[in-house]
Amino acid sequence: MRSLNTPKENTWCPGCGNFGILNAIKKCIQNLVEGGIPLSELVMVCGIGCHGKIFDYLSLSGVYSLHGRALATAQGIKLANPDLKVIVFGGDGDSLGEGLEHTLFAAKRNMDLTLILHNNGTYGLTTGQFSPLSYTGYKGLSTPQGSIERPFHPIPLLLEAGATFLARTYSTKLEHMVQTLHKAIDHKGFSFVEILQPCVSYNNTYQLFNEKVKLLDVIPRDDATVMALARNQEHYYIGIYKEQLIPVYHELLYQTQNPIRERLSGLQRKQKIRELY
Amino acid sequence: MTYFIKTQWSIDLHDIHTIIIAGKAGEGVKKAAQVISGILMSYGRHVFQNDDYQSLIKGGHNYSTVSTSEAEVFSTSEQADLIICFDKRSVEERRVDLKCGGTFFYNSDDGDGSMGIGLPMTSLMKKAYNTNGNLCSVPIGIFCALYGHSKQELANIITGEFRKDRDENLALAGMIYDCVEERLAPFARKHIPVAEHLFSGNQLISLGAWTAGLDFYFGYPMTPASSILHYLALQKDRLGVQAIHAESELAAINMAIGASFAGARAAVGSSGGGFALMQEAFSMAGMVEAPLLCILSSRPGPATGVSTYTAQEDLFFALHQGHGEFARVVASPDSHERAYSLAAELLSLAWELQTPVVLLTEKHLSESSTCLKLQPEQVPHADVKIGLENDDYERYEITDDGISPLLFPPSDSVIKWNSHEHLPSGLRTDKSQPITDMKAKRASKIITAKQAVKKYQQIAEYGEGENIVFAYGSTVLELREAARHTSKPLHIIAPIYLEPFPLEELAIYAGRVIVVVDHSCTGLFASFLKEKLQTKILKNILRYDGRPFDPHSLATLLEEAFDA
Repeated sequence: MRSLNTPKENTWCPGCGNFGILNAIKKCIQNLVEGGIPLSELVMVCGIGCHGKIFDYLSLSGVYSLHGRALATAQGIKLANPDLKVIVFGGDGDSLGEGLEHTLFAAKRNMDLTLILHNNGTYGLTTGQFSPLSYTGYKGLSTPQGSIERPFHPIPLLLEAGATFLARTYSTKLEHMVQTLHKAIDHKGFSFVEILQPCVSYNNTYQLFNEKVKLLDVIPRDDATVMALARNQEHYYIGIYKEQLIPVYHELLYQTQNPIRERLSGLQRKQKIRELY
Repeated sequence: MTYFIKTQWSIDLHDIHTIIIAGKAGEGVKKAAQVISGILMSYGRHVFQNDDYQSLIKGGHNYSTVSTSEAEVFSTSEQADLIICFDKRSVEERRVDLKCGGTFFYNSDDGDGSMGIGLPMTSLMKKAYNTNGNLCSVPIGIFCALYGHSKQELANIITGEFRKDRDENLALAGMIYDCVEERLAPFARKHIPVAEHLFSGNQLISLGAWTAGLDFYFGYPMTPASSILHYLALQKDRLGVQAIHAESELAAINMAIGASFAGARAAVGSSGGGFALMQEAFSMAGMVEAPLLCILSSRPGPATGVSTYTAQEDLFFALHQGHGEFARVVASPDSHERAYSLAAELLSLAWELQTPVVLLTEKHLSESSTCLKLQPEQVPHADVKIGLENDDYERYEITDDGISPLLFPPSDSVIKWNSHEHLPSGLRTDKSQPITDMKAKRASKIITAKQAVKKYQQIAEYGEGENIVFAYGSTVLELREAARHTSKPLHIIAPIYLEPFPLEELAIYAGRVIVVVDHSCTGLFASFLKEKLQTKILKNILRYDGRPFDPHSLATLLEEAFDA
């Protein structure tokens, strides 16, 4: 397999959780390719924020989209060519702030793609403002007195929206990330992976996560248990929360067709117009 | 009951005959007019249908106007030869539209009988349905009687047009037919139809884009663009096109960019408000060089404005979509025929130039209908620059014409589209020289676009002489209809392409004295022409109440302007 590296200088802060995520996705892609998935069929889409820089550090086709719009772009790609495996990288501000609508609707549609949420609980690249996932009382430049809002809980939110694969992992646990991402990308349907990711500059949670992260032994048996475990603040459970197979959007839309491969030629279209009108 | 009519229809000099059907929303006004348009077409007559409706589902006051002639009809007239009203409010609103010597029918179950012929429309409808139904077949019954059709012909028409409640409609139309004794039969009935299909502007835009390769349409409902989404959704199986109703306009346009990354030909459409929401992604299409057709169908603004009426307030908005500098094409169809060919041209240009293009139109073209035969032969084949699949492939390779070769996944080459400023490889950059180079590459597409549009008709010209009138979009239809009624010949100049603007082709009009007709309050098109051609404006004829011009009234305004 060719190298997944790019010549681009890496500008994440030393110690950033993103390094772990980059290593994990590279290893995961290697495993996927070894498992028989052609590298050419993997496509990445990113939003804007620290997470998005992964676009420049990973030699993979894709779109570096607008802030918040990565999932909309990704859905367009998947619908046009369902053979592609579309991996979306999003930040907590990007996917749950500016682009919340697309996240909820991609899950609602059970769109067959993967959203990897780099959850660092802050807006890193714009200098540490509070995010939709920041805890109440979080002090940033836009909330110097402390945030008065309550954070979203991403897994319960995505569960309710209709995601059919839900998981959480932690950016220091390389092997756990690799396994989780692999299962998520393999999953047929909308898969969501929340990665707990410390931000060394604005929200350094290494110590907190190291103390509180705990492995889920089994996939919870029902949604109520998913909700309870995902909201637990005593322990941050990592592992797979849900895995369910139901019909995916593009197959409900056009069954086994491929709109790109099966598109009519210009001549066929002209002929059809002549016949019909 | 039989009703006699004392009418002497004088078919006017220009053979324009107009029928208005008016009633509440949900009563079948538009459908009745469509059926009547179809019958007229079968005689070998041309038709133009305009539907005036309000933003409500049931009730209110809607009316459809059908103007017909043996020659082509470009817009509807306000003064009608036949008016059929379903309710009292329609009588009040539409009575002023009756031509001298015209025939007026009202519903005697809901009307005062102050003018015209009363028919108990509601009671007959209840009799036919045994309950409450729809008045749709009432005008069809009146029409068939008055215009000299046999009852069998009426039955055939109703059977062909109504699948739902067919028997009830047959009964109702039959009872109405029997009420009307007079047979005016004003037209010679030829047996060669002018065209078999009645198309709205939005249907023609949809079909034009589809012929040129449209695979996906992404939209969010907003009048008057919604009917593109509806029409394509309905054509899904027949044409193999996907019409996706997204969660918002932002989703729609970003999905469209994603689809074009994967190699699908995609389009989006909305009215001004929805387009405003698409701005950031429109700019992104410029940056990532995504081929994208954007259809902007205007209604009066600002903000929510007047939802179901027409306007041309979005000229500069269309020309200046998106932040930042990048090449784009903006063009506006001046007729239904052009709506089909221009949608095809624009989708092809988007793919040749790899940039967003805007088809600017208005409610008056989008939602009015006329009969025509499609000309798919004219549809161009887009000359898309495709790259070679190898390790050296660069999505944004610097080229003289600014067009970099495209590749689509799955590919062994790495294809990176980037909304940040980027290197030829698609990787982000903030370095001085690469920024300068890439901006210059994109800017060179502005020159390439100027050349590319030259292969198409950039200006439409109707008539000749010294009385020069400029207009664009559906206003040209109104002008061509008005031109029948002016004593002096009009010379109508209609730029189809607005960006790149055909400056050289219009150079002969630089500094000339002209009249401009426009549906804006502040004379946007005149401002645009003054800037581009330094024309002197003799008169700016403006209408901005959401309604199209009546051809007779517009003719009077034009005569006054040229006489001044």
